[in-house]
Order: sequence, then structure tokens, then C-alpha cells
Amino acid sequence: MHPVLETLQQQFPIIIQSVNEDPQRHELSAQVERGGWGDVAQFLHDDPAMAFDHMTDICSVDYPDDFERFEIIYHFLSLPHGTRIRLKVRVTEDDPSLASICHIWAGANFLEREVFDLMGIRFTGHPDLRRILMPEDYDEGYPLRKDFPAEGKGWRSQMDFIPRLDEPVSEWSADEIPSDQRHQFMAGDSPDESKRTTEMLLNMGPQHPSTHGVLRVVLELDGERVTKAVPDLGYLHRGVEKLAEGLNYMQILPHTDRLDYVCAMTNNYAYVRAVEKLVGITIPERAEYVRTIVAEMQRIVGHLFWLGTQALDIGAMTVFFFTFREREVLLDMFEKLCGARLTLNYFRFGGVDSDLTPEIIASLKEFLNTFSAHIEEYDTLLKENRIWLARTKGVAVISGEDAINFGLTGPSLRGSGVAYDIRKLEPYGMYDKVEWEVPLGKAGDTYDRYWIRVEEMRQSARIIEQCLEQIPEGPIIAEDAKVIPPPKPDVMRDMQSLIHHFIIFTQGFKPPKGETYCATEVPKGELGFFLISDGSPRPYRMKIRSPSFVHMGAFDHMARGYLISDIITIFGTYDIVMGECDR
Amino acid sequence: MLDFGVRFALTVSQIGVVMVAVLLTVAALTLLERKVLSWMQDRMGPMEVGPYGILQPVADGLKLFFKEDIIPAGANRVMFMMAPVLSLVPALIGFAVIPFGPNWTVEIFDVEFKPFIISDINIGILYILAFTSIGAYGIILGGWSSNSKYSLLGGLRAAAQLISYELNVGLSIVGVLLLTGSLSMVAITEAQAGGFWNWYFFAFPFPQAIAFGVFIISAVAETNRVPFDLPEAESELVAGFFTEYSGMRFAFFFLAEYANMILVSCVATVLFFGGWQAPFTFLQGTGSFMWVSGIFWFAFKVSAFLFFFFWIRATLPRLRYDQLMRFGWKVLLPIAIGNIVLTAIFAYIFPGS
Repeated sequence: MHPVLETLQQQFPIIIQSVNEDPQRHELSAQVERGGWGDVAQFLHDDPAMAFDHMTDICSVDYPDDFERFEIIYHFLSLPHGTRIRLKVRVTEDDPSLASICHIWAGANFLEREVFDLMGIRFTGHPDLRRILMPEDYDEGYPLRKDFPAEGKGWRSQMDFIPRLDEPVSEWSADEIPSDQRHQFMAGDSPDESKRTTEMLLNMGPQHPSTHGVLRVVLELDGERVTKAVPDLGYLHRGVEKLAEGLNYMQILPHTDRLDYVCAMTNNYAYVRAVEKLVGITIPERAEYVRTIVAEMQRIVGHLFWLGTQALDIGAMTVFFFTFREREVLLDMFEKLCGARLTLNYFRFGGVDSDLTPEIIASLKEFLNTFSAHIEEYDTLLKENRIWLARTKGVAVISGEDAINFGLTGPSLRGSGVAYDIRKLEPYGMYDKVEWEVPLGKAGDTYDRYWIRVEEMRQSARIIEQCLEQIPEGPIIAEDAKVIPPPKPDVMRDMQSLIHHFIIFTQGFKPPKGETYCATEVPKGELGFFLISDGSPRPYRMKIRSPSFVHMGAFDHMARGYLISDIITIFGTYDIVMGECDR
Repeated sequence: MLDFGVRFALTVSQIGVVMVAVLLTVAALTLLERKVLSWMQDRMGPMEVGPYGILQPVADGLKLFFKEDIIPAGANRVMFMMAPVLSLVPALIGFAVIPFGPNWTVEIFDVEFKPFIISDINIGILYILAFTSIGAYGIILGGWSSNSKYSLLGGLRAAAQLISYELNVGLSIVGVLLLTGSLSMVAITEAQAGGFWNWYFFAFPFPQAIAFGVFIISAVAETNRVPFDLPEAESELVAGFFTEYSGMRFAFFFLAEYANMILVSCVATVLFFGGWQAPFTFLQGTGSFMWVSGIFWFAFKVSAFLFFFFWIRATLPRLRYDQLMRFGWKVLLPIAIGNIVLTAIFAYIFPGS
């Protein structure tokens, strides 16, 4: 048995009800008794042999037939040891409450609120337990419970909380935030409270040119200085997790395109990897190379998009057009590859949809030849520009410890000097066959995160170049008649193939009973899919661990004390996309 | 009485010509800015309206003219309606003292008439500074009266910024005034006659190049252009002080910004680059040709400044509010004062040069 599980069992012989090590997927999990959850969590975080310092995700599952109806599943990662663990706690329907772990992992704040919002679990000791994705006055129940119909409750236009067109327009009121809600957005008592005469609440978003989608942040201002920033999420909540419960595995794939709509490839990759891990499919080598290449192309596209918009937010508009020029070239290649530019839907279980043609490879090589010169071009505009330095250096500083504690991932975490890149830690694709480096920041400020993303584009180009050299001939999709649709010509001639094709497309394939968490490094950070299969063609529960959502949890921490202009910089520096944040 | 009638008719027609020229230039500028930016940014800019998009300003103007004029609930109506006017008029009124060409006097019906300047008053530059300061009221009132927090923040930023940088503009031109000994725009231009080495940017005994640097930076800040466009920072404050404005009121603010750009370019040309004087006397031409070349050189220099405005817009990010204030008070102000001291010393050592 894994030493972590052994220690846990020795330390908490009664509280730990059972432990399980999945030999096939190398995953550790333990069932924890609800009363002792707080102690176990504290031990996991503090004990040097455990050191689970990074909170990955909190998921909740509803089993309506069980006595202890709800299961809350915590995912932790130990950065020093590189191990992941999954802890499950069961609570009953009569008393759906559990000890909050916000004080141990600050990142748990938003994740617990999400569980409360969608499943109705109350976390005792949580500082601000409110709905987060659904409207605050939503009283139709908890959407992720199994007794909530997947098709929704009635028409959207008849919901009480949405203003109706046939009703008179509400009267103009002096303030956009009602006085009874104001306290939620105000900072607590400060020592110099007596000096403050009046505060100003600025409602930034959801319609604002630079909140990167429909994000609303309520800022409490002291002059231009921000004393508290409260993000209000959920304007783009489409309930992908609930939808997924009614779709078979293949039908979910297009929905993942729409999560982080600027980086569809990597979303596909993350989802497809999770399902493959659940089913247990091995991928042909060429397909792995193609996947790695397109994922890195997507990373470049994502970072170019980020660089352009971040520079535009800070006021350097030319960079935006330059980066979009290069992005366009890559999108054209995607279009040749799979017919779409944004919602690509290119990955398939066991491989990819279409092969790289020599034409695409030639244009990709040509692009890579000029790409480093283009990066130099952005650098001439930004890297040593004194205004750019003044606007980014020392802005939105977050220390490495805080960044880990808030559960940040991706460039936002590496900017603070924490070397956590899933491509290195748990190599997938062809990342262990090529040479590349993980750029690390020092100061943890906006400039470091900018530098890291630019450097990552160079590294991505390196990876693509090496992959293009090494790529072998071969099939681009695995053969597994029960899961992967057989090739079309066979379907028309071969009875066996026709039957499999029919079954896969009418019922969907049935993965074995089980559960798995699979993390993938996308441009924004760690995108994880947690799948629970009950042996049916549809997932019993699918949880998306989206980096943008977790990053928004650290927004208040990073924004306090800065000016309004910096708030825009901070929006940008996370690289948030609301489609992924709200799901 | 005839005397007065002729003078009145002449002046009004002169004002008309200048206003039409300025407003046409503004219209052209809106197109040119977009075109120049596009070329710098590897794109084409407006291409749809007319050949190469040259009718774009007409389309923009028509669109703005026919737009609904919205006054937000809770706005102070009088102030809200007054603010755009208060912003545009001072920007246009400054052109009254700009000498566009040689300081000739012609006699029409026994009335002395200067064709290339509307009014040669002896405190010309002071007059311009005074009126551009009034323009700040338009911005502040527009921001305050809109009853919007973004507008309010934009207006407050504008107030702080304009006061700080107005000071630097005023101090940076003192060197020129010391050398000329006059506040008249005509006198300043004529003092720089005889080749580009006499322009105050290069002139003996103390070149005003540093003062020019301070002046042009402050001028960019005063016209609310990138990198000092904080009052209207579109990515932070939506549109700053004119967030709530629409239709022609919005267009007035827009016109005022461009008119101000032209005005400060004219002032920079007159004060530091010899106004309508050619860089070499033989390029100036003689006799009746002189006014053509005069206007040409004046327009050329002004255009160069306008191009400079576009250029920095394409290049630089926006400063932050506190950085802007620090830069204005801690960097530009000491430089401007130092320049006055040095110029005064040199002017004392080399009197009459």
C-alpha cells in the first residue's frame, strides 16, 4: 500500500473508514468519517510527510438512494512529493453540513461556495457562504442534485429573478447596489475607520470593455484605491456539468470546446485524456505526436490572445494587432486541419480526427521560422518600455506560498517561482520525449507572469519543432471496437463494424464502473476533469476543475491596495475566460 | 460707420474661413488618425465608405448627428448640456491669435486688415493658455453631471491632470518669452526669422529644446491623448468623462479633443519652430509668393506634430494615475523651472542676441 495511505490509517484508525489505491490509474483515495474531517484536513496540510499544500478541487455527488446521500470529494496535490490524493466525506440529507477548510487552504473558499450553490451542502465556519454561480435569490433548489431535472424547471422567461419584458421598467434608484446588500461588498473594520468619511462602491461589469467577458466585480474604493474587491461570477453559467449527466461521453466533447473558447484544443485534450484514463485506451504514437503539436499550437494561440488583450488593457494597442496577426495564421492551420477555427472539436477518444497533411506541416514549419522574430517584435514594444515596466512591475504581487495556498496553477503559479507544470510532473503526450524548459518567475508580479507567457511561447515553438522532426508514420486513432467508432469504409462493408458503429452512436460506449481525475496543463493552468462512471453510457457525475474559477478566488487578495487601473491589469494577468470560469 | 461695417464683415469672414478650415482639418484628422494607426498596425483601417474610406468622416458625422440624444436619469440637465459646449468653444477660440502666414497688412476701403491672423493681440499666448484652462471645466462638469461613477472618476482625473500639466505648459514657454520679450504670437514668430538656426528650438544663446520636450509632453497630457488619456481610459473607465454622452454632444467632446490637438500643434510650431518661416530663407520665396510658402510651412510643421501624436498613440501604453502625477510634479516641473533659470542667465549674459 502507498505510504501516504498507510500513515493516514495509522494516524486516524477510526476516522478513515477505508482506503483504496487504484493500481491501474495510480490514484489514491480514502473515505473519511464526517466528524473527523477537520482534523484529517489539518493533518494532510501540516504533516511534512503528507504536505498536501495544493488544493485542487472540491466535487460533490448526489446518491439519492443512499442513507448518507451526498458525497463531497476533495482532491489534493502535494507539490513537494508530487502525489495526489482524493478524500471522500459523506453527509446525510437531513443535515448536509461539513466543516469548512477555508482557513487551511484559502482556495477552498470559492470551491466550497460552488458546492453549496449547486448541491446545497453547508460548510460550517465558512466566512461568506453565498451562492456563487446561480443568482443570489435563486430558490428553485440545488441544480446538481439528481432530483433536479436536467432539462431545467420551466422557461427562462418565467423565472422570477429575470426581469420580464411585459412588466413596467423598474424605477431609477440612486444606487445600483441596494443598501441591504452593501455590507457584502465592504471591507471590514480597519484601524483608521474613524478617518473615513464615505466610501464609494464601483460596480465594474458585467458590461465593461475589459472584464474579459461577463464578469462583475464590486470594488470598494477609497479615492482610486481599492479596499475590497468582490467578484460576482455566474453570468455565463450554462450548467455544463449538469448537461453532461444527460449526454453520453462522445456528446460531451463539443461542450468542452465552449469552456475556454479561445483554447478549444487543450480543453478537448483534457477531456479526452480523462475518458481514456477511465476506459483505459492506449494511443498510437503518431496520434500522440499530433496531439502534442496541436496542443502546443493552441498554447501559442492562447498566449498570443492573452498578450494582445493584456497590452490593450494597459493601453498599448499595437501589440494587440500584431499578436492577432500571428494568431490568425495558426487559426488558418486549424481550419485546414479540422474545418473550424474556434470550437475545434478535433480530438477523438483514442486519437484525433484527421491527420496532419504535408501542406499543414509545411506551413507550420514556415510559421515557426518567423515566429521567434515576431516575439522579438512584441518585445521591442513592451519588454523595455518604461511605461510597460511601471505598469506591470510590482503590480498584483502574490508570494509563492500564497499562490499555492490559493490553488493557483499554470503561469500564475509559476510567476511566483513554483515549478509546477503538469507536463513535467506527470508527463503525458510526448512531453517527456522532447527537450524543453519550464520558465519560472521570481517576484510573482504581473511582469513575471508576462515574461513567463512569452517564454512559454518560445518553448512551445521548440516542442513543436522537435515533434515535427520525430513524428512517425502510423495510424492516428487507436483500434478498440467497443469504444472507438470503426473507420467509415468498414462500416459499409463489414457486419461486425456496422454493429459496433450502431451501438456506439445509438447508446454510447459503456466505460467500466469507477472514477478518475485527470489533470492537463492548458494555457491558463490546470484543467482537470473528474469523472464518475456507474457503468452506463453517461457519466454519473462530471466535475470540471477550471483554472479561471480557482484564480478568481485569489482576486480579492491580489487586488487590495491597488488602484483602479491595476484592477484591469489584474484581470488580464490571470488570463481568465468566463466561459471556463462559470462553466 | 462704413469703417466699422467693413471691419466687421472682414473679421467675420476671416473667422468663418479659419473655423471651416479647422473643422475640416478635424474631420480629416479623424480619418487620418485611423489610417495612420492602421498602417502602423499592419491593417487597412476604414475602407468601406468611398474610395479607400475617405468619406468615413462624413459617415461618422451623419451617424452621430442622427443618433438619439440621451440624458441619463439623475443627471444635472443644465450642466450636462453645457459641458460639451464649454469644452469645444475654448478649443476653437484659441485659433484667433495664431499667425498662419506673414504679418502683412492690406488696406481695404481704408481699413487696415491682416489677412493671416484674426487678431494680433499683444498677449496672444496668455490668451490661449487662459482659454484652454476653461476647457477643463467642460470635462470636469461633463464628468460630474452625468451621474455615473465612471464619469465622475474620469472628471476627477481630468481635473487633477489638467491643473498639473497646465502649469508645466505655462512654465515651459517662459524661456521663449524671456528671449522674445513679448507675449504676442506675431512678435514671437518674427523674432525667429532668417533660417532654422534662429528657431527657438535651436536658437542662441540658449536652445529651448528641453523646454520643447516639456511642452510637448504636457501638451499631450493636456489634450488627453495616449499615454496620458486617463480621463477617458477606455479599458478602465469605459469612456471616462463622456461615458454617458451620445449623439452630437459626444461629437462635441470628440471635436474638442481634435481641435485641441491642432491648437497645441500650432502653438508648438509658433513658439519653437518659427511659425510660418521656412527653414532657409531662399525657400521662403519673395513677394506675393511668400504667403503661399508661409502657409505651406506652417501646415507642414503642424502636420508633423499631429503625426507625432498618432505615432505615440500606436507605440505607448497608458500611464497609471499616480505615475502621471509623479511624472508631472517631480520630473517635468523641476525641468521647466531649471530651464527658466538657465535661459534667464544666458539671456542676461548675452543681451540683445
